[in-house]
Amino acid sequence: MKLTNFSLTLIKSKISKSFEKTRQREVLAALTLIGVAVALNMTFGYFAALFALYLSFFKWDYIGPMEFVGLRNFEILFRELVRGLHGAPFFLAPFYTGLRNILLYTAIVVPAQTILAMVLAAFANQKIRGVQFYKVSYFLPAVTCPVIVSLIFIWLFMKNGLINYFIQMVIPGFAPDWINDRNYLLYAISIVAIWGTSGHFMVSFLAAMQSIPRDIYEAAMLDGAGPIRRFIYVTVPMLKPMIVYVVVMGLIGALQMFDLAYVMAGPSGGPGGAGYTMALDIYREAFLKLRPGVAAAKSLFLFTLIFIVTYVFQKRFRVIAAR
Amino acid sequence: MRVKHHKLLKSVWLLITYIILTLFALVYLMPFIRSFIASFMTWAQASSYPPEWLPSPFTLENYLKVLRLDLFPRWVFNTALYAGIIVAGNVFFATMAGYAFARLRFPGRDALFSALLALLMVPAFVTLVPSYIIVYKLGLIDNILGLSLLSLVHVSSIFLMRQYFLSLPQDVFDAARVDGCGPIKTFFYIGLPLAKPALGAVAVYQFLGAWNAFLGPLVFLRSPENFTLPVGLSFAFQRAMWTEYTPIIAGSLIAAAPTIILFIVLNKYLIRGIVITAGKG
Repeated sequence: MKLTNFSLTLIKSKISKSFEKTRQREVLAALTLIGVAVALNMTFGYFAALFALYLSFFKWDYIGPMEFVGLRNFEILFRELVRGLHGAPFFLAPFYTGLRNILLYTAIVVPAQTILAMVLAAFANQKIRGVQFYKVSYFLPAVTCPVIVSLIFIWLFMKNGLINYFIQMVIPGFAPDWINDRNYLLYAISIVAIWGTSGHFMVSFLAAMQSIPRDIYEAAMLDGAGPIRRFIYVTVPMLKPMIVYVVVMGLIGALQMFDLAYVMAGPSGGPGGAGYTMALDIYREAFLKLRPGVAAAKSLFLFTLIFIVTYVFQKRFRVIAAR
Repeated sequence: MRVKHHKLLKSVWLLITYIILTLFALVYLMPFIRSFIASFMTWAQASSYPPEWLPSPFTLENYLKVLRLDLFPRWVFNTALYAGIIVAGNVFFATMAGYAFARLRFPGRDALFSALLALLMVPAFVTLVPSYIIVYKLGLIDNILGLSLLSLVHVSSIFLMRQYFLSLPQDVFDAARVDGCGPIKTFFYIGLPLAKPALGAVAVYQFLGAWNAFLGPLVFLRSPENFTLPVGLSFAFQRAMWTEYTPIIAGSLIAAAPTIILFIVLNKYLIRGIVITAGKG
């Protein structure tokens, strides 16, 4: 009896030992497999983000010693905003111009691309032929490099270009010099952005619409709702999660827009800074004016702005949805 | 009578649908069509008003001008090299990490994964300057390798691979374990072969992302012979390398061709994949 008991404990400890060993092997294997992925993302993600926070308290030119300046970099930023609010010209308050432009741009682009994508998806969500052809055509801009898109549109937006040609069919005599006119540059960039992203979102909306149960539409049809009323009272409410997703993605993309502005307006922001954005300003502070501390402070401002805008939107929208 | 009326209304509605959808297809395709045609025109003809639609004389001079620029083949090569490194890095490292996060048990696994996911919220501009300093300290500025470090293992790739491994039945992995495969062996003999569809998706998304990337290459590459196509083309445009605009158009079309062809060949697969990732986001 004693013997069996002893051998049992022996077997038990052996099992737990081998179990322990496999556990250890599993942990070791996991660490090997995630090693590179975690190391790189920690370095260029978390470490870099914390380093940006650290940098924002220092004055530096990449070469000399770093000088602690407290909140001076943020002071520079807010002074620029205040100067801009008091009507200072672009070269005295570039960050303000960038902020103002990007807010206007976001206010144009995000609603326009969302509504356009939703309406196009609603039209495509019927028993029609060639849906794949439409999807492919609408999606093509999204897989094309923004720089290339911008280069092509600069040419299309020339005073004697194709876009003015089409516009004059509708509005005779309206032929602005989009790229070189400070009153039109930001709108030209917005049009390119809407053109570039709405098709992508249309495909997302279409997929979401196709998963709406058909009997809801049939019930609405029995109640005598036509296609437009079905869209407003059935499709849009059912699409709410997708609308939130598309708007949030659109906000994040629009608020840090860089590529289109860099190419279409140029690195210095075009005539009178008409195409200047916050992202462009951060780039210029960091790599042209060589003020990484100020750039870090401005990038944290941008981060906060994106965070607040998306957060407020999601919160507001959920409240409206709950009603 | 009422049925007839209803049918008429329906076919009118269908007609409106087709007109609107086709009109917008033209809006989205027009820049591509127009620049394709114009790339075979002289600048004088491409800039004429009202626009002309048939190249006469038909000329390949724009493409030849682009190819005569010594830098252009280098830009193509650099872009392909960069895209190749990024695709390989993401396919290899993100698959390994995705497998570990989905199928292996280790302390702190879920917290670590959430921490990685949270990085998706941090804008590129926040980490840009510090990343530049890190790569600078490594002596890898103006080097495709230094640039590649930043997006070698993208969090979205890890996420995609993890979701895919989670969707596979646990039995397959258990069977391999019972047969005496260690966790790493199970990954290479069972996990990796099963992951082919998701691997393809990661490869294609990362290829598109790397081929079209602008901000990273702009900041991390300094000398024109190391540029990628997007940076090179915007450089050529700003330096006004050609007095005419048509070579820029031709160069743009060459640069966009791989992504356009890839998209048209894989369109069904790609559109579905993007919708799936969007739904989960």
